[in-house]
Amino acid sequence: MSKVLIVDDEPLIRILLEQSLEEFVDHGVSILTAENGLEAIEIIKKERPELVFLDVMMPKMNGFEVCNMVKKELQFKDICIVMVTAKGQEQDKIKAEEVGTDYYITKPFSIRDVINKVSEILKIEL
Amino acid sequence: MIMSKLFKKTLLIIIVLFAVVAVSTLLSSGWHIYNMLVAEYTSKGTAIARSIADSSVETLLNRDAATVQSMIDQFTEIAGVSYVFVVDAQGDIISHTFVPNVPSEIRDIGTSKNTAPVDIEIGNRRYIDISAPIVEGAVGFVHVGMDKGIIMSELLSSMMRQFYLLSIIFIFSAAAAYFLVSRVSQPLNKLTEYSRRLAQHDFSQSIEIKSKDEVGQLAGTMQSLANDLSEVFDRYEHALKDAVVELQSTLAYLTAVIDHMADGLLVSDVDGIITHVNPAMSAMVNMRENDLIGKYCGDLFGEGLAEIVQKSRHDPEEVYTIEIELAGGRTGKAVAAGVMQDYFPLEGGGKGIGAVVLVRDITTEKEVDRMKTDFISTVSHELRTPLTSVKGFTEIIRNKLEEDLFSKVTFTDEKSARALKRVRTNINIILSESERLTSIIDDLLDVAKLEAGKVQWKTEPVSVADVISRAHEATSALFEKKGLVFTKNVESDLPYVIGDSDKLIQVVINLLSNSVKFTESGSVTCTACSNGKEIVVRVADTGSGIADTDRHAVFEKFKQVGDTLTDKPKGTGLGLPICRQIIAHHRGRIWVESEMGLGSVFIFTLPVADVTNVAAESHSTNRETITHV
Repeated sequence: MSKVLIVDDEPLIRILLEQSLEEFVDHGVSILTAENGLEAIEIIKKERPELVFLDVMMPKMNGFEVCNMVKKELQFKDICIVMVTAKGQEQDKIKAEEVGTDYYITKPFSIRDVINKVSEILKIEL
Repeated sequence: MIMSKLFKKTLLIIIVLFAVVAVSTLLSSGWHIYNMLVAEYTSKGTAIARSIADSSVETLLNRDAATVQSMIDQFTEIAGVSYVFVVDAQGDIISHTFVPNVPSEIRDIGTSKNTAPVDIEIGNRRYIDISAPIVEGAVGFVHVGMDKGIIMSELLSSMMRQFYLLSIIFIFSAAAAYFLVSRVSQPLNKLTEYSRRLAQHDFSQSIEIKSKDEVGQLAGTMQSLANDLSEVFDRYEHALKDAVVELQSTLAYLTAVIDHMADGLLVSDVDGIITHVNPAMSAMVNMRENDLIGKYCGDLFGEGLAEIVQKSRHDPEEVYTIEIELAGGRTGKAVAAGVMQDYFPLEGGGKGIGAVVLVRDITTEKEVDRMKTDFISTVSHELRTPLTSVKGFTEIIRNKLEEDLFSKVTFTDEKSARALKRVRTNINIILSESERLTSIIDDLLDVAKLEAGKVQWKTEPVSVADVISRAHEATSALFEKKGLVFTKNVESDLPYVIGDSDKLIQVVINLLSNSVKFTESGSVTCTACSNGKEIVVRVADTGSGIADTDRHAVFEKFKQVGDTLTDKPKGTGLGLPICRQIIAHHRGRIWVESEMGLGSVFIFTLPVADVTNVAAESHSTNRETITHV
């Protein structure tokens, strides 16, 4: 059973992404949420999700740090990480690339695009 | 009276010459007088001898010795006659005047038949013996002895007289010469003294020689030369004084300028040793001037500064900048430029003699910069997050309505059907407006970043044909929506340009969407051609066109030309300012040509890349491992 983790300090964004991925729940995908980087690391260690939506600007531990830690661990480095950020700046893209981010989306994003991307990654036809 | 050395020498030479002439004259005249006296006495003696010989023939023949004796005795009283004697044919002395007896030397002469005068010496005295034959020598000979001593004494007295005369002449002429020479010498001395003073640049004296001779002329010439010289000296002295004053005031001015500069100034020599600082510099680093001068700039401000000082020395055309730490945790921007010895060019051009470094306190600027950057990212984040919710939830609402409600429920009454239509339309309006809001935020961010210099530009070879194709792909939906025709006319084999392809695509997209926005019907044509130096891209539309007065305004921020009260604003008003910034960064130009009612042509140029650079840089490809969703 696939697991998708949504990490964002904004509750509305978490809810939005949860609602967007609602349909995948019917296909046996469970959706987990975390509101900061530390919590995200704990959940990743415990639940080992296939896919993580990771916000960059968060308290306690930012998205880059989380991604960096995850990608360094051999057992977690296959986890697909999609960086979700309001910062569409070049240096952030470069930073994301450096820490091993797989995909990169900027707010505001299109729900349609997110759904398509998830179904591609999890290989689930809706 | 002081006599010049030259005249002293001349006088000495004259005296010596005179002495030589006098002595030789004395000698030659003495020789002459001697010869004359000898001849005189010889002829006198001959006459006496002849008269004795003539008158004594008879006496001799008669052998009257006493008569002969008395006759010859009277001759000895004649001046110069020393002796007389008579010999017979056999050579015996018949009579003589010798007292007491005949000297032996006489006996030898008596036997001689020779009648020529002969010099003889008797005792210590010298005589000229003159003989005259008596009756052809048949009877005998008469000898008369003339005293040479008398000749000599006469000669001597004559010589003495000459000597006295010469001496008197010499004394008079020497005195005259001395007087004359002194007179000539005096102006010369004056002249010499005068010239010596001139040589010491003393022009206060004047020379007064009234004579018309060469010395007078020389003095006149010298005086006028001295006057000229004095004038020239005066003029130069004044000019020098003026120059010194001017130099001092210029120096004071420059020093004042340097000392009152708000920026710090530091001058270093070729080894990086500080030679000069201004008060602003001292204040910036909170050190006294004396503590700075003579120190190695690398020790005080880090090796980075020493490095740019060295670099600027080797390449004086370039200006190097670096950030350095100042006192109190402040930051300074140091700009170094090489100092060339332009005024004294050596072989092979000027020589670097150090570097001048200007330091500006940029702490505030940096703070403002940082705040601006922070502001940009904060605004970006704070605006985008709610926007994401608005857009995302609206999208979900629409999807839910379409899929789960509208498709399952059929409204029979007209009112409900109308409400359904309205909800559908309005949700779409919310969505499209949130899209618009997104693009406004994007544009605002772009402008802010461009202005703050926060954009990271790529420098890679860019194909303009690719740029146009990709921009057209991105805008094709707009063309379809409005039913406009897009024509592309790109010259084949266009050279590369160096720049950022994404940014250039953004420019063309902006121009194309702009054209579409303001064109209701017709076409948009994009052409690109090269003129060797630059590539010219034109985007022409058949839209409403722009009034002359608005042509510059279109490139200003938040300007949309036309009446904003009646015309609905289209876009953000930031597209063209962004285009201008991007093109300016690529060292190109952008402008618009338009005619009201006929359409507008937006034109931009990009400088053609150096072919050799293209090859080198084409390897630095841009990795895109992240897929942008």
